Amino acid sequence: MNLTVVKNATCTFCGCVCDDIELHADGERITETKGACILGQAWFKNHTAERLYPDALIDGREATVDEAVEAAAEFLHAADMPLVYGLSNVTCEAQRQAVYLAELIGGVIDSHTSL
Amino acid sequence: MLRITGGKVYDPANNINGEVRDVCISGGRVVAAVEDARTIDATGMVVFPGGVDVHTHVAGAALNFARGLIPEQHRQAAPIIHSRLRRAGLGGSTPTTFATGYLYAGMGWTTVNEAAVPILSAKHTHEELHDTPIVDKTCCVLMANNEILLDLMEAGEWERARHVMAWQVWAAKAYGVKAVNPGGVAAWKWGKDAKQLSDPIAGYSNITPGQIVAGLARLVDELKLPHPLHLHCNNLGAPGNVTTTLETMKTLEGNRAHLAHLQYHAYGGDDWSNISSASTTLADAFNACPNLTTDAGAVLFGNTVTVTADGPWQHLLYQLTGKKWANLDVENETGCGVVPYAYKPGSPANAVQWAVGLELLLLITDPWRVFLTTDHPNGAAFWRYPEVIRLLMDLDFRREQLKAIPDKVLKRIILPELTRQYTLSEIAVITSAGPARALGLSHKGHLGVGADADVAVYNESADVAHMFSYPRYVIKGGEVVIEEGELRNVVEGRGFVVKPAYDETVEGYLRPLFQQHYTMSFDNYPVAPERVHGLQVVEPAP
Amino acid sequence: MSCTLGEVKNRADLIIYWGGNPAECHPRHFTKYTIMQKGKYVPNGRKGRTMVLVDIRETPSAKAADLFLQVRPAKDFETLTILRALIKGRRVDAAAVAETGLTLEQLEDLAHRMKTCRFGVLFFGMGLSMTRGKHMNSAAALTLAAELNAFTKFVTMPMRGHGNVTGADVVMRYTTAYPFGVSLSRGYPRFNPGEFSTIDLLVRGDVDATLVLGADPGATMPQPAIDHLARTPTIVLDPKVTHSSRLARVHITTAATGITAPGTVYRMDEVPLPLRPPLSGPYPSDEDVLKRIVAAVKRKPAWEPAGV
Repeated sequence: MNLTVVKNATCTFCGCVCDDIELHADGERITETKGACILGQAWFKNHTAERLYPDALIDGREATVDEAVEAAAEFLHAADMPLVYGLSNVTCEAQRQAVYLAELIGGVIDSHTSL
Repeated sequence: MLRITGGKVYDPANNINGEVRDVCISGGRVVAAVEDARTIDATGMVVFPGGVDVHTHVAGAALNFARGLIPEQHRQAAPIIHSRLRRAGLGGSTPTTFATGYLYAGMGWTTVNEAAVPILSAKHTHEELHDTPIVDKTCCVLMANNEILLDLMEAGEWERARHVMAWQVWAAKAYGVKAVNPGGVAAWKWGKDAKQLSDPIAGYSNITPGQIVAGLARLVDELKLPHPLHLHCNNLGAPGNVTTTLETMKTLEGNRAHLAHLQYHAYGGDDWSNISSASTTLADAFNACPNLTTDAGAVLFGNTVTVTADGPWQHLLYQLTGKKWANLDVENETGCGVVPYAYKPGSPANAVQWAVGLELLLLITDPWRVFLTTDHPNGAAFWRYPEVIRLLMDLDFRREQLKAIPDKVLKRIILPELTRQYTLSEIAVITSAGPARALGLSHKGHLGVGADADVAVYNESADVAHMFSYPRYVIKGGEVVIEEGELRNVVEGRGFVVKPAYDETVEGYLRPLFQQHYTMSFDNYPVAPERVHGLQVVEPAP
Repeated sequence: MSCTLGEVKNRADLIIYWGGNPAECHPRHFTKYTIMQKGKYVPNGRKGRTMVLVDIRETPSAKAADLFLQVRPAKDFETLTILRALIKGRRVDAAAVAETGLTLEQLEDLAHRMKTCRFGVLFFGMGLSMTRGKHMNSAAALTLAAELNAFTKFVTMPMRGHGNVTGADVVMRYTTAYPFGVSLSRGYPRFNPGEFSTIDLLVRGDVDATLVLGADPGATMPQPAIDHLARTPTIVLDPKVTHSSRLARVHITTAATGITAPGTVYRMDEVPLPLRPPLSGPYPSDEDVLKRIVAAVKRKPAWEPAGV
């Protein structure tokens, strides 16, 4: 099994965003989190590269990503007042796209900050 | 391929002054001739090289901090409405990123220099520049309060300082080096300032602001960077500060420098009650220094927000105005302060500032060394440049505007005595050819064969403010982006970055220092080249 | 009056945490950025710094503090305002002091420490910004810190919570000019907290479809808001099937930020950091899925803002 060692990895769990973590991974899961705190360890070990969930669900039934993307676009396009919400644990690159989407569908965009 | 025909061409870099001739474009460049090209009939119009802004604040942590501070101004800002072609946004004193690109291009400007980038947040600056369409971009990295450099200067280690500077320029993916209130921002980290060139700097025992200025200018010249040291002098905004500015010019000892927003450094008097214009003295001295260029930093009346790395000045402005104030100190490197501000003709200090910006543009004799800016957004938003152009070209209009200035101020300024009116050719120099040359962008600012095909075509009109606000055509990199005054095409801009030569072993010196004084990992500090959209690397000859 | 965390590490000799519990919520804040670090100008580290904790209860963070001040619940605004008065040498009303749960001596001592430190910092947590008074409390903290700069160097910073919520603020500000709660329904950005904030929109039933990403409102929001999410089409992008996914019409599994997805995130002090994911997983990133939804929306008839 290939062991990957990543130095200066960044933990996104809390607002500290520590970027000095050394991660060891075996291709499927993270086996070691040097430098991470107890919250960071739990975060890194809570996600794996396994396929634990279906790619997508439409009304509770398994679907392909393409089908789900089409369905999502249909709902958002049809709505008069759609909302894009959340944006916390995603990258800035995703946030940029979320703003663009909100603009295209003439909706509202909001984050955790408004709570 | 394009042929612009029938227009009066103003291309001062090639000594073309209003001659009717064709400009031919192919492959994004100006060429000698084209066949079977689309023809733009520019009869009755003037043809300019695309505008180049040598000093503006359009992207980065400080400007974005300002955006957050002024929602009440955004409510009055021009809406940029979403279309299939155009991203939504707002104009106003701190336009959103997409709006910034449209607004600059919409007035014929095609290159901008973001003048203040900390290395620590340079990734963020480049993210914003990525989302600033159409215009080409350069940026200057802040160094005059960088503590690793100051520590080296304090120890007299100039050789190593040069390698560190070169490494830092490339780490930030910057184009030039900026100095803001040398030593003063470092002192501000302890709540102090360093106003005069011989003042002590809190936290340091040997170096002075004067030594930082002279040292940085020399290092920039030794590294042969295309743009000289971009210098925001000490003692900005203070009555009587012209002596500091004059002394700074002497301290440079013949090294090249670009003095940013000279208006804010040209005051006489000794307090706010008798602040006066010192532009005659300053312009005379400046005219005699061929090593220097400058930009006006002109002020226009109205609401804006001031944003600068000059933290102590912003604290003073907060105490003077009692308005909102935000300050953000950047570890080991710089700071920034944000204060919303309204320039009013009835305020004697503001009236002097308004006059001084114009006086400097009128008194500095060589248009190749003084450029049009408002230090956006500090003096006014960049999209108000056409108003400044009108003030320079139209003496009657200027006299009309002077009527709003209080009588007691008229004695403290010299603008009423100045009768110079800029010609179109001179406007082409101060908005394009001059700043392109000062930035060392040899393919910008002119329409000679081989130049980037960045062209603005304006209706020739007596109302120059209107004329320069609504170009008929704007061509960026050979693509027509504005046509009949409307946005028709959105292209991506490029990012020019300088990679000066440095000894690779300097990283071995920096790494332990960095780990001691910073809070992020050294390997995560530099901006990766792929983060710069449309990256164009310039390597100065060793 | 803020700074990046390295300024605190290098300079701060007075560190105040107000309404926050870093020991449990930001475990490495003490050791990586603040009290435990040896800084450039604080060579003695912990010995060279004073830490004050202000909170309504004695949390585990109190163990790390030199001074713990227990303020009465919902009296943060009053306490901050009294401190502002004391710093300016104004008299304060004894009855007002009594309401805070602190004595005048304690408050005067804190005001004195704030004025006489070399470099002070006030970190405020959700115990200040999310309790009675909310943004008024944050504003009082910001004003207090600003006014202290007449005496010494003083900065303040919110203890931002989960993940990249800071990045959302940053990206929305540069694309729309506003940090959150932005309506694009007229084709350009408009901001009105209360009108365009998520809970208000959902509870009032103003929206008729919701895309959720990087959040699980199905687990955390008030029931009327959750009911509305279930009643109208909801789309969820998340690395796991969440509470929100179960009430959604569409769920798409996405890569986990920083574990299987690359990109950029912002620290609470707005310093951008790159991600270095150690794994490559089977799911697309949020960015990728959003791009695909954008492309699918663009294939449909264009929506034009009214009146254009």
